[in-house]
Amino acid sequence: MKNLWVIFKKEIYRVVTDKRLVLGVFILPGLSIFLIYTIIGTAIGGQMDEEQAHVPTLYVENLPGEVEAHLDAHMDYTLQEGTIEEEALREKIREEELDLAVIFPEDFAERIDSREGIPEATVFYNQGSNHSSNAYNNFNQAMGAYHENIIMDRLDDPSDYHPYELGTVNLVDERNVVAQGFAMLMPMLIIIFLFVGVMNIGPDAIAGEKERGTIATLLVTPTRRTEIALGKVLSIALLSFASALSSFIGILLSLPQLMQFDDTLPDISIYGIGDFAVLLLVLIITVFFIVALVSIISTYAKSVKEATTLIMPFYFIAMIIGIMNSFGTDVNQSLLPHLAPIYGPINLLAGILTFEYSLVNFFATVLSTLVYTSLFVVLLNRMFSDERIMFTR
Amino acid sequence: MNDLLVKDLRKTFRLSRKQRRIDRTKERRKVAVDGLSFTARRGEIYGLLGPNGAGKTTTLRCIATLISPDEGDVRVDGKSVLTDSLEVRQYISFLTSELKLDDFFTPNYLFDYFSRLHGVDAATRKKRKKDLFKRFGIDRFAEVKVADLSSGMKQKTSLAISLVHDPDFIVFDEPTNGLDVLTARTVTDYLLEMREAGKAIILSTHILSVVEKMCDRVGIIIDGRLQAEGTLDEVRRTDADANLENVFFQLVEQSEVAAA
Repeated sequence: MKNLWVIFKKEIYRVVTDKRLVLGVFILPGLSIFLIYTIIGTAIGGQMDEEQAHVPTLYVENLPGEVEAHLDAHMDYTLQEGTIEEEALREKIREEELDLAVIFPEDFAERIDSREGIPEATVFYNQGSNHSSNAYNNFNQAMGAYHENIIMDRLDDPSDYHPYELGTVNLVDERNVVAQGFAMLMPMLIIIFLFVGVMNIGPDAIAGEKERGTIATLLVTPTRRTEIALGKVLSIALLSFASALSSFIGILLSLPQLMQFDDTLPDISIYGIGDFAVLLLVLIITVFFIVALVSIISTYAKSVKEATTLIMPFYFIAMIIGIMNSFGTDVNQSLLPHLAPIYGPINLLAGILTFEYSLVNFFATVLSTLVYTSLFVVLLNRMFSDERIMFTR
Repeated sequence: MNDLLVKDLRKTFRLSRKQRRIDRTKERRKVAVDGLSFTARRGEIYGLLGPNGAGKTTTLRCIATLISPDEGDVRVDGKSVLTDSLEVRQYISFLTSELKLDDFFTPNYLFDYFSRLHGVDAATRKKRKKDLFKRFGIDRFAEVKVADLSSGMKQKTSLAISLVHDPDFIVFDEPTNGLDVLTARTVTDYLLEMREAGKAIILSTHILSVVEKMCDRVGIIIDGRLQAEGTLDEVRRTDADANLENVFFQLVEQSEVAAA
């Protein structure tokens, strides 16, 4: 097995000494994710800040004093002076020159006090404008409080309005809230990043060598096909892991900005060393599984382009399983799903992140994934010995 | 026992629908080599001569263990390509345009890499690299990436790399292709030197002058079969003018007539 390490070292050397590959495999994935998510986060934060800072301009006709008091209590606003015709009012709202307009009847308050019919006020707003929608919501809250006051005034005993009190005690474990957040996001991202990492390296390392004719030069050396297969799988796994790590660092660094966490990283201290060790083990076996799968496809393909095309359906399946996990409610605790390729590791990752996994499920996933990977490596070994696969162009 | 023995070698390939259409045939398999037998002895250069598509490269690929024969066997120093392919690969050197070098690496790195794969120790590797690089003029571009080398430089590098393990059996397919006259001479001189050192050399070429100048014995393959074999004189004697070129063309013509 000496040649396994010779091939392994050559594959690593090939990537780490190529500036373009270093940039494309290790730097760009993390950097691009960091920049994209930071830009998105900054844009969302900026929009929220701007929304909060905006003081809506209201036009109100015949504003009753009591309503004004409620408005003052619920929102900041500027009143538009003067009188505006309804048609012009509609135009100003559409053009976002005004955020909200309300026309009360002159005798609005009087009719409420005397209970003579139901007075009707008209509100104009523009749902397509954030400022207008926010002003409308705040106005509704103020009117809700006003409405409540009227009802209470009409009751003989104001306490009739509240026939009961509802006390709530939230016993949430903050640790679980954070864990649920991680479990929703991380398994999906992990599987996507690992797949992308492998796809960055795998097709070129095998299909590329076939395409360029360099694999034949290796095949005439006294090297066992198993050594070639394992040398490739191990080196691709290590490089892919590093590539995926770059993506993780990118997303971790951009999370505070993206999730508006006040510039602090999500608290990962809820997990202990044991949790991280188990996570790492699952990640490693998952990487090997994906690498073995991609290696088989790359060996079968005649070119890098063909390999990438053939890998895509598997990537989409993995992505869909990851997304399904994100939107799922609870971690599946049955044994059988833990034996499924891709789904098993994703489910187990979610279980580890939420502290809801059993040792039986853990071993079921780890061992089954190792078995699948070993079978793939055996198949890969056979493919390397098959002249129809290795020399068909 | 110490020779390279090709015995009743037969190799067929499955034809794709597209290939059948191009060849205008309904046959699903093409016979590339059909019952070929010959022996390349130590201390001699055996010339394998034949037109394009005669089965020369397929034969060489079987010897190099890149592909397996359907029938027959190749024994290298007594080891079978069917059962001891790993050992066979330790003894032979195989050079053909089909084997490419990775553009990213330098001749220096590749020589070391393939030496390690052949289990050559560091001291021997260093000495052998120095000798071969100097002989073929590779030392002038040893640190230049293969991608930046001319086709001649690449051929020289491939040549040196095929010899990293000082093999006893040398199988070269058109080794002087792409080389200038001077370097081609260096290569032929080197092969003659190897013959003197007791190595068995198989030289596949279509350049008759190379065969006449270098080969001790020659086998002419047409349509996967050995049509003539013997020392150069024996083969030449089959023509009234004792001309190898005439012999070659006569055999090709006979084969075409038989096929028609």
